[in-house]
Amino acid sequence: MIALKIISLIIWLFIIPFGVGLLPAYLLPEKDRTPGAVFVYGYFVMFALFELVGIPIVIFVTYHSFSLLSYLFTALSLALGLAGTALTWFGGKKGYKLAFWKREELKQMALEEKICFLIFFLLLAFQMYMLFTRASFDGDDAYYGVQGVIAQQLDSLYRINPYTGRSAPLDVRHALALIPVYEAFIGRMSGIHATIIAHSVVPPVFLALTYLVYFQIGKRLLHNKKDMLPMFMIVLALLQMFGNVSIYTNETFLLTRTWQGKSLTGNFILPGVFLIFLCLFENNAESDKKVSKGTGYWILLACVNLAAGVSSSLAVLLSALLVAGLAVLFAAYKRKFSILVKAALTCIPSAVYVLTYLIISH
Amino acid sequence: MFGIFMESLVIFKLYTGLKLLIVLFALSWIYLLVTEKDKRVRLLFVWAPPLIILLFLFPISRKLFVAAGLDGETYYRILWTIPMGVITAYASCRLFSRHKRIGLIITSVLVILCGSLVYKNGYISKAENLYHIPNTVIRICDLIAPEGESGQAMVVVPEELVYYVRQYNASIRMPYGREMVASQWDYYNEVYEAMEGTEIIDLEKLLEATRKEYCQYIVINPVRQVKGDPEKLGLQLLSTIDGYRVYKDPVAAAEVESWGQYYEED
Repeated sequence: MIALKIISLIIWLFIIPFGVGLLPAYLLPEKDRTPGAVFVYGYFVMFALFELVGIPIVIFVTYHSFSLLSYLFTALSLALGLAGTALTWFGGKKGYKLAFWKREELKQMALEEKICFLIFFLLLAFQMYMLFTRASFDGDDAYYGVQGVIAQQLDSLYRINPYTGRSAPLDVRHALALIPVYEAFIGRMSGIHATIIAHSVVPPVFLALTYLVYFQIGKRLLHNKKDMLPMFMIVLALLQMFGNVSIYTNETFLLTRTWQGKSLTGNFILPGVFLIFLCLFENNAESDKKVSKGTGYWILLACVNLAAGVSSSLAVLLSALLVAGLAVLFAAYKRKFSILVKAALTCIPSAVYVLTYLIISH
Repeated sequence: MFGIFMESLVIFKLYTGLKLLIVLFALSWIYLLVTEKDKRVRLLFVWAPPLIILLFLFPISRKLFVAAGLDGETYYRILWTIPMGVITAYASCRLFSRHKRIGLIITSVLVILCGSLVYKNGYISKAENLYHIPNTVIRICDLIAPEGESGQAMVVVPEELVYYVRQYNASIRMPYGREMVASQWDYYNEVYEAMEGTEIIDLEKLLEATRKEYCQYIVINPVRQVKGDPEKLGLQLLSTIDGYRVYKDPVAAAEVESWGQYYEED
């Protein structure tokens, strides 16, 4: 039984997101199709898909809404995962491939670099161990955590007061941020209680996702000094551990409230926007002719903007504003109006989200 | 306007905790400002951060933020759009690219000295189980959990347990929850007043309030004093779990049970 639960977790936390990530990866240059990057893209798309399927259900379906969401999301994510896998498989026959780490690269790596990577992985393992074995009290769990448990145990989405259990009108303010429901979904697929998923299972995975985003950023920033990448990761890991200078920093959220949408905003969604902008303009600069002007990245950026909704309504605004601000900077620098147009198109999901919020709240 | 600016400045100060880590970030940013040549990196990590800080401090931004219906207390999250960690780590890598070992040691020591270890946070404790909620709550919930899908249970628990009960079992209802315990809200609840409003719990008063809510179970904190004899008032001690006395109110229970029968007949 436990083995089955673990297998289900592996499928839903690793294999399917990876399969889904293969879809956008198909539109990206080979160097950006590393397994880690594909995994990150997969989560961007999975969260966006969850919002796309979940929001109409939350708004229009009162009874057994979680079951309906689970059926639809299972079918769609499996379909996308299979499509990504098929695309990679058949593309492989035409020379398309992922950028796996090559053994020669590892051999070429200096001993010092290897030791530094080892230190980083030890820090990461320590942080994961602490997330698993230490309980971090947060009053917000009485709201968000319970929403997940309600979904799993009572098959209802945002129509029960989480504090008391009484029936309530749709809680518009939080109803569009579906991360507790996503965690409950993982719980349903694996047969594990939603609170265990939120507090013990998801945190190490989300932590790994954060570091994967930072790793991708580091790779692009230090492309001329690859030997510095392990140091970059160690310093970042230390900054997460010692970034608890106040209760407000994203570092504090990462290691104390990892399972909450707020942490996801500051440590996955917003760094994700920076990562995509780094890729986008690196791509243009190097004029990769196989990929048409970064279409894949713009699509990914739209997914990030929609995925932000899974965290919180504020995350949608922050992500869209960040995209808009960075697009203005790049458009001014490159003197290309088209950048603004493309960025505006990626913000359409955010606009629809805000519009939906306004309509249902009035 | 100046007042709003000062408020935003205070939020910024609170965000930094007035610890030296922000100085480390500022020095890293200055270093990149002077040395970074890659235009793409300059736009993202040199020019964007001060613009965001200016926008954050600009009074109109805060007004718009609140006018958009967003919670003013979350205004600090705008600062999350500045990748302070990436800027600090990247600048240190650039600065020490020729002296990696010493550079890593110096940067690590600076981060450790300027920051604050998250695990020293008073809210972090050893988890008692995979749920990361107290075992006591689990045992209480298992004792009173309703049977079957139509079963109902409502419990009033001491303040310190309020956060956890429904994280374990959403079928268990409560007459009040975190909205009464957290200081930022100022609601009134009769059961809460009777349970937490006085130093000594007046059981008669509490029962009067809980029966209005059809609350079948009452859990009393081990150290709380109680006025009135629970047995004489008709309460039934189900169990004592880690010192917490778990009572069943047969009057409320019978009332709730009669609903169940009514619906079954219906």
